[in-house]
Amino acid sequence: MIIEEVVEFLKKSPPFQFLSDEELQRIATSLTMEFYPKGTLILKHGERNIKALRIIKKGAVKVFVKNAAGEDVVIDYRGEGDNFGLWSIISEEGQKTNVLATEDTICYLLNKERVLQLLDKNAVLAEYFLKSHLSKYLDKTFKEMLQRSMKVSESDRMLFTTCVEDIASKNVIKCSIDSSIQETAQIMTQNRISSVVVVDERGLPVGIVTDRDLREKVVAKGRDVRDPVKNIMSLPLIRIDASDYCYEAILKMIRHKIHHLLVIKDGNLIGVVTNHDLMLLQGTSPLTIAQEIESQQTISGLATLSKKIIRLVGLLLKDGAKASNIARIISEINDSLIKKVLEIAEKNFGRPPVPYCFIVYGSEGRKEQTFKTDQDNAIIYADPRDDKEASVVRDYFERFSNFVINGLLECGFPLCTGNYMASNQKWRQPLSVWKQYFTDWIVTPTPEAILASVILFDFRPVHGDVELAEDLKEHLLKALKDHDIFMVQMARMTVNVKPPIGFFRTFVVEKTGEHKDQLNLKFRCIAPLLNIVRLFALEKRIPDTSTIDRIRRLKNIHDTVREFGDELEHAFEFLMFLRVQHQLSQIENGKSPDNFINPDQLSNLEKKTLKAVCSLISDIQEMIEQRYLLGRMM
Amino acid sequence: MMTILSQWKLYGLESHFKDSPMNIDLNTPIQEAKYIVVDTELTGLDAKKASIISIGAIKMNGSTISLGDFFYRIVKTDTCVRESILIHEITPSESAECPDIGIIMKEFIDNCTNRVIVGHFIDIDMKFLNTQMKRLFRYKLENPSVDTYRIYKWMWKRQQRPDAFFEGGPDNKSLFELAKKFDIHVGGIHNAIYDAFVTAQLFQKFLHLLNKEGIKTLKDLLKIGEV
Repeated sequence: MIIEEVVEFLKKSPPFQFLSDEELQRIATSLTMEFYPKGTLILKHGERNIKALRIIKKGAVKVFVKNAAGEDVVIDYRGEGDNFGLWSIISEEGQKTNVLATEDTICYLLNKERVLQLLDKNAVLAEYFLKSHLSKYLDKTFKEMLQRSMKVSESDRMLFTTCVEDIASKNVIKCSIDSSIQETAQIMTQNRISSVVVVDERGLPVGIVTDRDLREKVVAKGRDVRDPVKNIMSLPLIRIDASDYCYEAILKMIRHKIHHLLVIKDGNLIGVVTNHDLMLLQGTSPLTIAQEIESQQTISGLATLSKKIIRLVGLLLKDGAKASNIARIISEINDSLIKKVLEIAEKNFGRPPVPYCFIVYGSEGRKEQTFKTDQDNAIIYADPRDDKEASVVRDYFERFSNFVINGLLECGFPLCTGNYMASNQKWRQPLSVWKQYFTDWIVTPTPEAILASVILFDFRPVHGDVELAEDLKEHLLKALKDHDIFMVQMARMTVNVKPPIGFFRTFVVEKTGEHKDQLNLKFRCIAPLLNIVRLFALEKRIPDTSTIDRIRRLKNIHDTVREFGDELEHAFEFLMFLRVQHQLSQIENGKSPDNFINPDQLSNLEKKTLKAVCSLISDIQEMIEQRYLLGRMM
Repeated sequence: MMTILSQWKLYGLESHFKDSPMNIDLNTPIQEAKYIVVDTELTGLDAKKASIISIGAIKMNGSTISLGDFFYRIVKTDTCVRESILIHEITPSESAECPDIGIIMKEFIDNCTNRVIVGHFIDIDMKFLNTQMKRLFRYKLENPSVDTYRIYKWMWKRQQRPDAFFEGGPDNKSLFELAKKFDIHVGGIHNAIYDAFVTAQLFQKFLHLLNKEGIKTLKDLLKIGEV
């Protein structure tokens, strides 16, 4: 029971939450426990040979240094669940700060050898410590140690910590564009490789030939092996930067349905990365699921497969993946599912009479889905030439949409309660009608129009004629110009729901007066943040839909984001992480996922962070209020 | 009938018997001394009739508690008293599967080597442990033993003005009342090892307070707390 209590505590204390139960058990039995009365100087500046990492079980400490004048300069306060002393342990230099117990404090002590072992074995842990504690003081020794630990570890989470460069095959085998198919196949056989890069006279890559090309385009078709290789090489060449993380490579492969990427560093081709390389890196791969989706021919087959996705999210989460990365992978996979359903529909009903584009919006549009959320989709189709064609087209897409929406339902995407779906005729219209919708909402921003804008303006194309969606996006961004009334209404909506600042009346280290109520994380925190970022994106008329992309792009062009961009990004990441963790534990317990968080179940660090996130949202809301609403009333 | 020597052999105690019994320097500062905090669960309070159900012990080096280094054994017994089952939640069948008291006592002695025994109302536990020691091995535990309640009473008397910690006087005797007073978390579980752990945390806080009161060495500590 003593050890169980410690394990439970560690589970709530980052970064230990990322460790397995067995590992936590081992750690717990090796801990010792010390008590420091209020006012004890626990670590002294310049102290050497610090033997343990201290994790605060109860109480709080102040981390400070003395300035030249001998005054205390506080660097940080740490509360329950926080730790200190890591820097001295790993740097083997003297302690750089003083740590004083500001109240009676109990610490668990994790000895130095074990800390180093953990860092060596767990890339996530190392990364966490690196980011949250050390970025300010980072030294070379630790950087090197960190890199070593990443290469040695065989864990799945490597996907998020390994650069493409580290796993790419460096020795790129090339063949000239003038080679024959047979010569190319010989090169591949000699070198025992599954792909070869085709280069032109200047040595620049122009294409790639893979085993699949030989199988599908040569053997299956009975093509003459003396034909030039350029006739069968694959185009276009998809490139990835050497410094990108491996999960980016997976995203690209899923999106382009290919298995090879060219790895580029400083403009030069330095290697090739294959799906095989990536699969070696981890066991259950998102890529495998994407491939399985690709091979399905029926809705029922897809439905079975889609169940695996939830399991995948669990795996990724346990690997300590960032919530926004998980959401992006899930979105890519969901996109493949939707595309496949549409392909099946196209086969059933015959080719569509006019080009169309299937768009998604809401969280799907922002690529911020975690577990299955409601369907939010629509169809834009090219304007018919005459009334007769219009009626044919209407009939076609009615049948088509109903099939697609039901197919998606079978695959586990619940119907949208607000009926924002392509099966609703209102959201299944020719491009000109869509343009008119958008214009109307912007010119006459009624509450209903604002609601529709908030949902629809985060749209992105998933399948079909992308140009239709791009055309509509362009129209939207143009229409926003000089429509201040609309922006004021958007701003009003943005500041309407306030984050629960009063919710955390007590500071992290206080023990009494905790509110027992639950918190609707989506309504009170996530949505207000999303709305702020959307408002800024519309102000600057940028086309991005995902919140993180919007923040990143706005950093250079939007004053508020320039100032608070990093905080916003971190806040969003944190909220998504909280939500996905909460929902996963609900699913694992057989409950259906919701957004209600019980603050009692958060660690103190999480509470502290959530409190900071709420203040950030509230501060920015106030700025928006000042800019849009107060100024105008005067 | 089994001789004493054969019992020693049975429990592998010959070597124990030859060991230099105790090696504790009473001039050791209390923050550096080695302790073992002990609690037993008993079927009653009369050492002649009642017996030990379980022994829990956790080690401390100075004021540092070693969380993984604990000792918890449930004793095989055929006397079972309903009340104590209700308190300790150890069922007769559970304790019937446990090792014999002789084996447990031997392990316990090994754990106590060169450590000061600490406990809340430790005199009761010592009485029961020594009854077993005498019965099995014909000698008593030689470790000095310190009672956290005595220490508490001593500190309360020294206190010039009763501050928050000490209000209510020395009449609050139970371990859990004291734990509450000193802001030590007490879970719902009540058994020998958990109670020993709570006692250890209490003693941990006392060690810091005692330092301020001029109690520096084991000798000083024993003066105020030995039973």
